[in-house]
Amino acid sequence: MKNSKSKKEHDRRKFLQLGLMSGVTAIAGGALMSGMNENQSEPEAPATDSGEKVRVLTPDGKMVEVDASSLNKYPEAHIPPAEARKGIPNRKFVMVIDLAKCKNARKCVEACQKGHNLDYHEEFMKVQLIQDNEQASPYWFPKPCFHCEEPPCVTVCPTGATYKREDNIVLIDNERCIGCKFCITSCPYSARQFNWGHKDKFDDKETPYSPETQVPAAEGTVMKCDFCPDLLRQGELPYCAKSCPMGVIYFGDMNEDIVTNGEETVRFSQLINDRGGYRHLEHLGTKPNVYYLPAVNRQFPLERGFDIDEEVKERYKDVPYVQELKKKGKI
Amino acid sequence: MKHHVKNNRFPFRQLIILLLILQYGNVGYGQEEEFDLGAYRVRFSVQTTKNPDQTRTFGVEYYVQNKKDRKDRIPVKDAEIIFYNSTENEEVKLGSASTDVEGVAELNVPDSQKYMTDEEGLINVEARFEGSADLKNQTESVTFKDLFLKLELEEIDSVKTVTVRAFTLDSLQNEIPEDDIDVIVSVGGMLSRMPIEEETTDEGSFEIEFPDDIRGDKDGNFKVFAFVDDSDDFGTVLASEDSDWGVFDDISKPPKNELWTEAAPIWMYVVLTILLVGVWANYVYTLIKLRSISKST
Amino acid sequence: MADSNPIKINKEFVRILEDKKSVSRGWMWFFGLVILVGLVAFVMQVVYGHEVTGMRDNVVWGVYIINFIFFVGVSYSGAFISGILHFFDTPWKSAVARIVEIITVLSLVIGPIFILLCIGRLDRLHYLFIYPRIQSPITWDVIAIITDLVGCFIYLYLTFIPDFAILRDNEDLNVAPWRKKMYRFLAINYKDTPEQKATLKKITRTMSAMIIAMAIVAYTVLAWIFSLTLQPGWNSTIFAPYFIIAGLYSGVGVIIICMFLIRKYLRLEHYIRKVHFVGAGIILLILALLFGYFTFSEYFARWFSHKTNDINLLDTLFDDYFWQFIFANYIGGLVPAIILFFKRFRTINFITFAAVIAVLGLWLNRYLIVVPTLETPYLPIQDTRPEFIHYTATWVEWALSFAGIAAFCLMFMLLIRFVPVIPVSELHEDMTNAKKKAQIKANKK
Repeated sequence: MKNSKSKKEHDRRKFLQLGLMSGVTAIAGGALMSGMNENQSEPEAPATDSGEKVRVLTPDGKMVEVDASSLNKYPEAHIPPAEARKGIPNRKFVMVIDLAKCKNARKCVEACQKGHNLDYHEEFMKVQLIQDNEQASPYWFPKPCFHCEEPPCVTVCPTGATYKREDNIVLIDNERCIGCKFCITSCPYSARQFNWGHKDKFDDKETPYSPETQVPAAEGTVMKCDFCPDLLRQGELPYCAKSCPMGVIYFGDMNEDIVTNGEETVRFSQLINDRGGYRHLEHLGTKPNVYYLPAVNRQFPLERGFDIDEEVKERYKDVPYVQELKKKGKI
Repeated sequence: MKHHVKNNRFPFRQLIILLLILQYGNVGYGQEEEFDLGAYRVRFSVQTTKNPDQTRTFGVEYYVQNKKDRKDRIPVKDAEIIFYNSTENEEVKLGSASTDVEGVAELNVPDSQKYMTDEEGLINVEARFEGSADLKNQTESVTFKDLFLKLELEEIDSVKTVTVRAFTLDSLQNEIPEDDIDVIVSVGGMLSRMPIEEETTDEGSFEIEFPDDIRGDKDGNFKVFAFVDDSDDFGTVLASEDSDWGVFDDISKPPKNELWTEAAPIWMYVVLTILLVGVWANYVYTLIKLRSISKST
Repeated sequence: MADSNPIKINKEFVRILEDKKSVSRGWMWFFGLVILVGLVAFVMQVVYGHEVTGMRDNVVWGVYIINFIFFVGVSYSGAFISGILHFFDTPWKSAVARIVEIITVLSLVIGPIFILLCIGRLDRLHYLFIYPRIQSPITWDVIAIITDLVGCFIYLYLTFIPDFAILRDNEDLNVAPWRKKMYRFLAINYKDTPEQKATLKKITRTMSAMIIAMAIVAYTVLAWIFSLTLQPGWNSTIFAPYFIIAGLYSGVGVIIICMFLIRKYLRLEHYIRKVHFVGAGIILLILALLFGYFTFSEYFARWFSHKTNDINLLDTLFDDYFWQFIFANYIGGLVPAIILFFKRFRTINFITFAAVIAVLGLWLNRYLIVVPTLETPYLPIQDTRPEFIHYTATWVEWALSFAGIAAFCLMFMLLIRFVPVIPVSELHEDMTNAKKKAQIKANKK
């Protein structure tokens, strides 16, 4: 496995990403490369505290704050709702999440929120703490939408606002959704969310709406993880996959049988076979397209994952292990 | 000229004032935080990559790193970096590029560029930043030899084999094989390259057995890559070759007439039509009969 | 019947129609006020969005859906009963049939309004008709409700026609001229000739059979909205029959309450008599037992096989909703059953009391079907915001619920000022039949 790269090599390779982004044919134009660079975020990237601004130095040595790269770098090739029903041709996207490596850094949650212009409590990717039974060891469980093969949410939508594409992605067309919330009650994985009231960000008409970006969202409609098709069209990993510091999230195409987490690229079938990949709640028959690798040979203790906001920590108070830890005073 | 009488007493007052100025002086500069460039160490590095289409990319990464907190990095943006191909005697400007918001500047040089070499045949490229009052001049250079990587895909005795040759060219355009180069052979995917095997050249080449279950795209095509990862002598080199060895089996037919597709199962249409026609026909019949009642005397 | 005089019958009901005070003005104003408060709540919801309700990302269906199921259940039960009354020509149909039919239609008008309140984008309602997906249970429900609504209206109108004819022919009728015009228009030239009578009877009978079938199909479709999902507590094979029985139960309860109120306030003790109450009471008893049986089947099987998700659901029910559960499923079923079981308790007042308990219990039963399941999803809700963990209805939702009930009552009151609340034509017919029977008996002797 190629994990043990020295930091220096890692840094050096950071900015000349031509090697990684090879799917598009060998266009070595400077624009494309710099475009690729800006969207690549590494764990040691400069801190962006307010979310939109980055600190940079001018050539005169003055520090200023500039806008971070814009959210949707895709306006030139905007995919309108009608066309968004056709998927990216000849692809079958799949995600693999390695539960053995997740330490609840929540970078995936934050990157996704930034990328889709979400508020603090709106989480397309949720990280839950699951303890299957009293004796079992709990594990951090990142949960995006599973983009099931036989999605119960699509079946029950009365207007066809949510649909399954040929590239496996299940999207929502906010211009068709009537807000009946049947899909939310129908999803057994609680992957969907509703916009209950008006928010100012809905009025921002600068970016034309596309179901592939879900920006701007709309009041009274449903939204959820979308596997970032706008990034995929640019040959990039979704926000969550590229921001995970532990390389937990693998993403790829089942047709070519390759998945990558940004650093490692492996055969999908081999990864599932070797590591015993499974799908959550398989017996429900939804046939998810997100596979999980069991939480064995954990790289660090669970307590490391509690270095988070108090409010987030409170969410896990019902997990038996957490209650034990609290009793012992460890958290 | 009048000389001031030197005061033999220790200049306490001046010292205190000086210390105060040093302590609080920079507040007057109007920065939102107390940004002290002195607390940061400058990092300026240059790299070269040879691309599959024989063009070359030179990149500079320019940022400052907090001496105390190494995770705190601030990139330098809009800094103009000029690249020169220099020898002892002369230099040729290759081009210039500005650093972006992540402090990275890249220059693409077409394959037609003839580089000047030194006596040993090495190419020296320098990246320069003309500094200002607060940011010093920066110069870094990278010295490399132009390595050629060639991939040959052949099926030998029904075994898919990939031969990788690494060589440089001397002044007479003769191929000189290069030994001991670590090359990673990989397959191109949509988002990244998947490594197959890593080998070292022996007498300028090596052979690997290529797996025969690589899928490729819908036509069974894929690209095979040879990648030299940031070697001291040659920089980063990437070469590719197209292949049709993909064993992609038929794309499964998209589902139709299921519960979750646009078109519903046929029996649903049938049942619904029967029910609705039955019921509404009766309504119409009822209304007709009512009309007949109202028409009758 | 004691007073076998058609003219007296007419007089009695015409009195109700003529007398402006027959239906209490005070109550009408009260209901109007409640509706007004509801309208204010509605405007709040339109302006501020669904945030003003208690619904949040986990419990996305709340009081609105519960009211929808409840009202539509009452309506279908009314359709079912009225269909049976007409189709089988049961002896008491003249007394209660119209009340039942009016309940049917009015509930079916009020019910869907609640579901409209639950829709996030009312401005896109027409998409249900432009882009329908027939795999969706909601589409089936929309079709079913519309079909049923049209059917019930037609059916109600068919039963009105003979009465309109009588009113039209009544020269002494002391009402506003526009009303006389309406009666003439709506009577569509019905002169009670044998031909017309036969035709009307035939189409009414066909419609009544159809209404019975539609009631069952339509409420089944509504039950399927829940039982065709995967959620614990909803994914049950017997949901459709359960809903039908529960709907009938609540429907009969509402009918009894209406009978009681109309009898009392319109002074129709002569026409709506104890025997009717006892009859309805027996039906209520049977339904109470069936309701208890189905509810017990549902929960007992889940408890016994103790699958994890079922046990989580039962835990939620018994921890958070203990008293509601007891009221809905024990008291709501047992108390009416006990009251109606013993002959001694079968008085009009007690029977009505039993009906009230039944109706309240049923509404709670609906609440316990919808909300606890949404509060115990497969993947635990790990959230800190209390409104996302536990559903509490806000004043907006309650105001609109009461406004719905008030609208129902108000429309009922307005309607019975316009149309005789007991089908006069039926009474005439009963009287004629009774006379005939008496004559035959006399001839035999």
